[in-house]
Amino acid sequence: MATISTHLRNFKEPTKEQAQRLFFSLPPNPPPEDVGPTDYRFEINAVLMLNEGQEDSYAGKLYLLPPYLCFVSLDRRSVKMTMPLSAIRRVERVNHGRAGVFELGLMLWHGMRLNIQLTALRSTADAFCANLRDALKIQLDLGRMKQVKQFVKTCYSEVLIPVSNPEADNEREDGSIMTEGGDGNALAKTTYHGGLGLTFKFPGDAKKLREGSKLKLWTTYLRAHGRNLTLLRYPHCTRLVQVGLPNRLRGELWETLSGSIFLRFSNPGVYEKILRDNAGKTSTSTEEIEKDLNRSLPEYSGYQDEKGIATLRRVLTAYSWKNPELGYCQAMNILTAALLIYMSEEQAFWLLEVLCDRLLPGYYSPSMYGTLLDQRVFESLVQRCLPMIHDHFHDVDVQLSVASLPWFLSLFINSMPMIFAFRIVDCFFCMGPKVLFQVGYVSLSSILKINGEKLLSIQDDGAFISLMREYFASLGESAHPKATDPRSRAIIKFQELLLVAFREFSIINDEMIENERRRYRGEIVHSIESFAKRAAIRNLSSFGRFSKDQIGLIYDNLFKALVVAPPPPPVMTKRLIPGTDDEMERPETRIELKTFRIFLAEIATWARDEYVVSNGFQERVERRVAEHEFVDRLFFFWDINHNGALSFQDLVNGLDGIMFNDLMSSIEWFFTLHDKDQDGWLTKDEVLVLSESLLFIFRSEVGDAYLGTVSRFMTNAFEYGDALLPEEGEKMSPIPNEVSANTELAPSLPSNQPYLNRATFRMVVLADPLLEAFFDVDLPRSFKLQPVEDSSAARGQTGLGLLGNVGGFLSSFVTDDNKKIFNSFVDDMGKAIGKHQVTVRPSINQHERNLALQEPLKETTRHLQRLRSQSSLTTPTSSTPSGVSASPMSSQSNLEKAPLVPPTSAGLKPAPVLPSPFTDVSPLAKANAAAAAVMENRQAFAIDEAGDEDDLDDSDLAELSGDDEGMMAEVDAFLEQNDASVGAR
Amino acid sequence: MADTSDATQKPIQVKLVLLGEAAVGKSSVVMRFVNNEFQANKEPTIGAAFLTQKCRLEDRVLRYEIWDTAGQERFHSLAPMYYRNAQAAVVVYDITKAASLEKAKSWVKELQRQANPNIVIALAGNKLDLVTGQASTPGTSAAASSADDEDEADDATATPGETEEEAGSESLRQVPKDEAMAYATEAGLLFTEISAKTGEGIVELFTDIAKKIPIEHILASRGAAAGGAANANRAPAVNLNETSDPKNACAC
Ligand SMILES: Nc1nc2c(ncn2[C@@H]2O[C@H](COP(=O)(O)OP(=O)(O)O)[C@@H](O)[C@H]2O)c(=O)[nH]1
Ligand SMILES: [Mg+2]
Repeated sequence: MATISTHLRNFKEPTKEQAQRLFFSLPPNPPPEDVGPTDYRFEINAVLMLNEGQEDSYAGKLYLLPPYLCFVSLDRRSVKMTMPLSAIRRVERVNHGRAGVFELGLMLWHGMRLNIQLTALRSTADAFCANLRDALKIQLDLGRMKQVKQFVKTCYSEVLIPVSNPEADNEREDGSIMTEGGDGNALAKTTYHGGLGLTFKFPGDAKKLREGSKLKLWTTYLRAHGRNLTLLRYPHCTRLVQVGLPNRLRGELWETLSGSIFLRFSNPGVYEKILRDNAGKTSTSTEEIEKDLNRSLPEYSGYQDEKGIATLRRVLTAYSWKNPELGYCQAMNILTAALLIYMSEEQAFWLLEVLCDRLLPGYYSPSMYGTLLDQRVFESLVQRCLPMIHDHFHDVDVQLSVASLPWFLSLFINSMPMIFAFRIVDCFFCMGPKVLFQVGYVSLSSILKINGEKLLSIQDDGAFISLMREYFASLGESAHPKATDPRSRAIIKFQELLLVAFREFSIINDEMIENERRRYRGEIVHSIESFAKRAAIRNLSSFGRFSKDQIGLIYDNLFKALVVAPPPPPVMTKRLIPGTDDEMERPETRIELKTFRIFLAEIATWARDEYVVSNGFQERVERRVAEHEFVDRLFFFWDINHNGALSFQDLVNGLDGIMFNDLMSSIEWFFTLHDKDQDGWLTKDEVLVLSESLLFIFRSEVGDAYLGTVSRFMTNAFEYGDALLPEEGEKMSPIPNEVSANTELAPSLPSNQPYLNRATFRMVVLADPLLEAFFDVDLPRSFKLQPVEDSSAARGQTGLGLLGNVGGFLSSFVTDDNKKIFNSFVDDMGKAIGKHQVTVRPSINQHERNLALQEPLKETTRHLQRLRSQSSLTTPTSSTPSGVSASPMSSQSNLEKAPLVPPTSAGLKPAPVLPSPFTDVSPLAKANAAAAAVMENRQAFAIDEAGDEDDLDDSDLAELSGDDEGMMAEVDAFLEQNDASVGAR
Repeated sequence: MADTSDATQKPIQVKLVLLGEAAVGKSSVVMRFVNNEFQANKEPTIGAAFLTQKCRLEDRVLRYEIWDTAGQERFHSLAPMYYRNAQAAVVVYDITKAASLEKAKSWVKELQRQANPNIVIALAGNKLDLVTGQASTPGTSAAASSADDEDEADDATATPGETEEEAGSESLRQVPKDEAMAYATEAGLLFTEISAKTGEGIVELFTDIAKKIPIEHILASRGAAAGGAANANRAPAVNLNETSDPKNACAC
């Protein structure tokens, strides 16, 4: 029933380049052909000027990240540009006649002109220009330049601003300049994408929302600063977003501000293709989607209509096929329903991708870890900044998340009146996830201010939810009903909420949230994984004879094996036979042979090779998974339902079948394991295989006592087997009588015929004290359930103490690679000073017995090979009959020689020096890795400290907090200018 | 209307959580209990929906605080947030879907190990209307007691009889009543079969739970620890009834 997921272990901090792409809202993986054969990426200091002084000049950094050119001002918030290279029409060198000034003039698609001064050494500036030229050439060659004209027609802003620059107007779709009229006025035929709102009306009263004035303001802004693909973001843009986007432009601005427009631009036709390719198919996700279609913003008229429902169905379904691992998660329906009011299916599809991937990472994944993580971050925020609320909630055991979870999961849509929620969504796409924290936080603090008494007398979750509902429902009311100044009276609670959020809480910024996420990630991953573990254990139908703790250890080892060798992804389209009820929402995790080997190597001492490495600095044990037919045999033995894979329960049952055994049941177990057809008889082949299994198990033992034992075992087995054969009257084998009759001629018995029965096997075993001891004690005990070292923070090398106290569960995991590199580094040093030594650790007889005789393993192996060459056994797994049959007599004579080989070595056998898997790592890289490992330990960022800092970077809004009344003035100006009543609802 | 005589008796809050596989009818059961209506579910559930309903029990009034959890599997790890401190749980399965009982059993196990140790758990097999007339003969007597649902158009379907329907519906049942009941008895659960569509057994379900709730215990523990095990040492004298307002008590 349970799915064991290890994907949370795959988390990696973004690389520097990934971080840059995130910052500029670029698609995470640009198509290789757009990137080009060489790495054209470039970073250079620059000063940006728009349209010869339309806006102030800003100093900042220019990034060439093909196929984009990006710029951000030094404060990282005033100016931000993400420009597809294909929207750049001309680049020229501007000659000022001033020495030392290197200036470029860029003509953009929408007719803006950017002047960029490269403030770098001349050689650097030249190199940048060369790269820019090459990157532009790639775009031209790929035909991307041509696509711009076609693409922008899908944008409403092109209708809004039909008067375009001569540059764009004269350009044909192929990018060449037109010489005659003809296809001239293409823009008149613009067919822009729009949402359901165009058909079913937009929510809210257009007049009260001051739709017309907002459109006018945006028209002015977009005309001068670019639009859709070419939008440049200056502070005024953010302010306009904060007063609410006009309905008709909302969809386009959402995709522009979030960057999803770039995905749509570079993936033409993909959405339609996904729908086409999956037409008629169903999956768990499509079924879940179907159930939710009628409960997605049902109050909106568009969703009371089959047309709207069908739109929603297509987008959600297409996304579930695009991202089958995520599939569909409740709340995505609400979000998508909201998007579709303002944008087309294709626009919504790509915006959904950006939401799931970048803006709300992990929120909707099967474990929902992103949701849980951000709830934890939010809680810690409240704990620090609103301790009164936190302490009270703690006292009465009220959980913040019961209310705040839906805020984050569905961006406040459904939590507050739609038109307000959409304004939060506006800000969210413009400024990022911090908006959710800011608004959530300020909502709580507002209630504390307005209705503190009630908030602090709450006794349970229900009362808290009700209070929040009440507050959100009142957002349209005046924030200062008793104020004498009509203008203050006109400010509604929602406006005040935003004002306070952006003006006073710009300390809640992206960096702080990232740091907080980093701080709690380990905790959340741990709690999700231990929850899954508890569920898996609970759902076992039997523990066998294991205690709960032991079961836990089995799970831990299974989990560890899954991390190393994950199972293949579950099949998506399961619903091929309708009405089969045993299909679960997520199929049970089963491990394949590959994973099983790793699992068993953790548990059975003989299923791994242990090398003791010492290099003068540290001594450590390196484990290698042993591959042998015996391990595979065990896998199929435990797979009682012949699934070709083992469940957690199978593993528990399998281990239960051996770990509690006494002498007799161990012998029985070992016999049954090798009795392939389960007829109670081993064939000669099987006797050989069994012997080989024993040799495998004993392969690392010191001395040759065990090897001698195996030799004797084989001798005796064949002797007794032959001797007993003719007299065995009461043979219980299912062989037909005539075959039995043939076996009277014992020496010529085919090697695939029943040969040795249980009783005889037992006798042979008991004849040898060492074998007896092995079956009595060593075999059951060779299975050991030990805590998985990975899950303890204290694991790691103690030798140098360098990695000893890496904090947190996950971070210690993440440094695994570093640790390997570190080990190899120390080994190299050990080799250099001649102290590097590797020895094999025995698996069965670890310390218990002293053995006198010593013999290299290969001797007996050679005997076995000789023996085998005389039998039909060509491969270890083969059990098919073949013409040649082994002569027991000759086998015996060969084997008798085995124990006579004199001892050759004593003590631990030196193993060949292991080839290091990291030989290609330079010492510098190793040292860096070691340093990185140490850095894992650094102190996490604290919110409290953040509050003390004056200047916090990376906040579009901090700009507003600079001039305190910025936003207020803006709103007031806006209100006056438009002479409209407030409280638009 | 009926409650004025008991005005002195302030309602006792009982936290109740509904759990079960998606689409077994949890939300419909709540809708039937709270609003006495059956309709396509219009309330989107993110995490859990929160509703309240009062319930009269002899001389006492209970105020159920109902948490109707999202059925999607990936929300499972959020469920503890909703069932913690719950005094009652209704684990719903769909009697026409065998797998839903397995899921229900797994919820019961989870509740018994992880939830409040005194939690009252009821197992409810929903969609009884789909198999009406068959096997449920002992249960149909309960249909009479749901007669308060006077004007329900669907009432007709609840009346047992029509042999023609029986034959068709028999095959729909996938969970025999005996089997589920035997399991419930063994696991120490209340058990009933219900229909959110017809209303059959719904009120009885919630009343039976109310009867089993250790009310005195709740009152005592509320005063002592405000319901939280984590803060047993903090003991503010809490007036539990301060916020309740008895004017919209239901008729049950
Ligand atoms: N026939 C019948 N259908 C029901 C009953 N209860 C719920 N349903 C239907 O089952 C589906 C799922 O119901 P819902 O309450 O949303 O299930 P939830 O996911 O468990 O909350 C809906 O289509 C309901 O109309 C019932 O008692 N009888
Ligand atoms: Mg529901």
